[in-house]
Amino acid sequence: MATDSLERVTNLLALLLESRAPLTLDQIAAQLTDQYPAAEQARRAAFERDKALLRGEGVPIETEVLGGDRAGQTAYRIDRARYELDLRLDDDERRALQVALAAVRFAGDAGGLGSGDGVWTESALWKVGADDAGGAVAGVEASLPAVAGLATLHHAVASRSTVTFGYRGKVRTLDPWGLLGREGFWYVVGHDHDAGEQRTYRVDRIDGSVAVGDAAVHPRPEGFDVRHAFPADAKQIGGGGATAQVAIDLERAGAAVRELGPDAVRERRADGSVVVEVPCANPLAFRSWVLGFLEHAEVLGPAEQREAIVTWLRDLAGPR
Amino acid sequence: MTAQAPRRRGPRPTNVRLRRLLVMLPWLMERGEVPLAEMAQRFRLSESELVAELELASMCGLPPFVDELIDVFVDEGTVYAGVPRVFTKPMRLTAPEAFALVAAGRAALQLPGADPDGPLSRALAKLDAALGEADLAVEMAAPPESDVLVAAATSGEVVEIRYWSAARETSTDRRVAPRAVFADRGNWYLLADDLDLLAAGADAQRTFRLDRIERLVPTGAHVDVREVERPEEWFADDSVATAVLRLAPPAMWAVERYPVRSIEPIAGGGAEVELAVASERWLSRLLVRLGPHVEVVEPAAWRSLAADTARSVLARYGE
Repeated sequence: MATDSLERVTNLLALLLESRAPLTLDQIAAQLTDQYPAAEQARRAAFERDKALLRGEGVPIETEVLGGDRAGQTAYRIDRARYELDLRLDDDERRALQVALAAVRFAGDAGGLGSGDGVWTESALWKVGADDAGGAVAGVEASLPAVAGLATLHHAVASRSTVTFGYRGKVRTLDPWGLLGREGFWYVVGHDHDAGEQRTYRVDRIDGSVAVGDAAVHPRPEGFDVRHAFPADAKQIGGGGATAQVAIDLERAGAAVRELGPDAVRERRADGSVVVEVPCANPLAFRSWVLGFLEHAEVLGPAEQREAIVTWLRDLAGPR
Repeated sequence: MTAQAPRRRGPRPTNVRLRRLLVMLPWLMERGEVPLAEMAQRFRLSESELVAELELASMCGLPPFVDELIDVFVDEGTVYAGVPRVFTKPMRLTAPEAFALVAAGRAALQLPGADPDGPLSRALAKLDAALGEADLAVEMAAPPESDVLVAAATSGEVVEIRYWSAARETSTDRRVAPRAVFADRGNWYLLADDLDLLAAGADAQRTFRLDRIERLVPTGAHVDVREVERPEEWFADDSVATAVLRLAPPAMWAVERYPVRSIEPIAGGGAEVELAVASERWLSRLLVRLGPHVEVVEPAAWRSLAADTARSVLARYGE
């Protein structure tokens, strides 16, 4: 009779959880009578598949190489204390997490975080969610981009592990200090081994998978706060605090002042236009911001900022 | 989302079934007995699928196999579980589960109406204690108007807004019934029914960007509350036309920012994309910002739009 593959893998898990001593494959096969193939190679292959499946589901299977009369053989065990969930959530905390997961959705299905059958967001709720919560919060919701690699990076930040990943054609080695969701993107910030300094990477631009090294190898700097690791305003990136003066017409003056705050206003003119002081340390972000106003904005100074915009436009306008 | 109806092809993979079984068993053992329908709904299985999985679980066991893992039977629409055995607690959180809970929890703490000292904060502290504290921050501070709009969506109150349309570059006054407030790609939006459009018999559901609402006045008048599903693809302002753009690598951020209908990678790292265009003005702004890194493929009428726009902006600089 062909047994359901779920049955064997469940039995294997139960056996390893209940066994007090680590078990070798021979011992496992002897206990799970007739469930693994008799031929050694086929048995090993079937067991490796089951082990990979369990580990893929997060089961902490540990291995050790035996000594004594079975020297060199590998034995397997699961530490029940490491296996079991032990959060001790109160009912209102369970409900709060359930409501949070209903209000904040993951957009896309990268990393198994979106919607559909067999997603991790669903099993997370089964583990911690309340029984009675309706779930939805009226009127408000948010979505976060689901990006492959996020869960691994989060785990690495929490466990102080070093990670390696490909980024723009280079392999980077990073001690990740924090993860930040900002303006619809995820960033990982940490100490880059090769650069020898703090670096920020966009998680969705990571090529392929993120490899995690040993835990507890790197410290996080005292007082590090990922929200302050790089400026929220892209126009400030690059530092130095450089600013430019930009005139904004009446039509868009209100919106510009709402965005920049009243402290940015240098002059309010009789025609309703304003002159605002705007960060321009990052020329690309500054140009993009100014051109978003089209003919309703004019860079007044400094001269090189004004000239840069004019040159960009001339190249685009082409010959007359 | 289409989460309600399980739409699947073929049998579920073993790992997905195992994942479910390992939370179902401790959940069931803690309760002792539970209506079959309730359990099936919670774990998103049909009743017959659930019975099949429980039957399988009752055949699992440790040597010498008299000691089954779970003593379970189904009778008259109720599931009964006996003495707890091996799987008395669910498995610890996997990395994706932990991330989902922490990220969603941190984000939800910033939603309008969230209580920073409430049960969600306590739950997150317990997660940190179990997983190791991680500096994970999500920025989605809602603008001040959102509280009023969320309250209006909940109560059905009509509000008047003055809204600046980026497509038409004008502000108009509108009477709207807020339905939902949501954050996406770094911006906050209001989903509302435009009551003047509704009265005219037109399709009235509109999406407004909160930072373009110049004035907001609650009216005290009420309409019926309506639950809305956020559309999968949408645009603040009405989008009609589409354009096909050829983007060089430095222009690829546009793909990340705006909903694209199709994307075709081209040699050298760029892509040819079709995107919804809210208005010619909107496209002008995009093109002049992308500069030499974009080329309009279709429609032909917009191929000179970037150069024309650049000239009109240059006029501002006295050229």
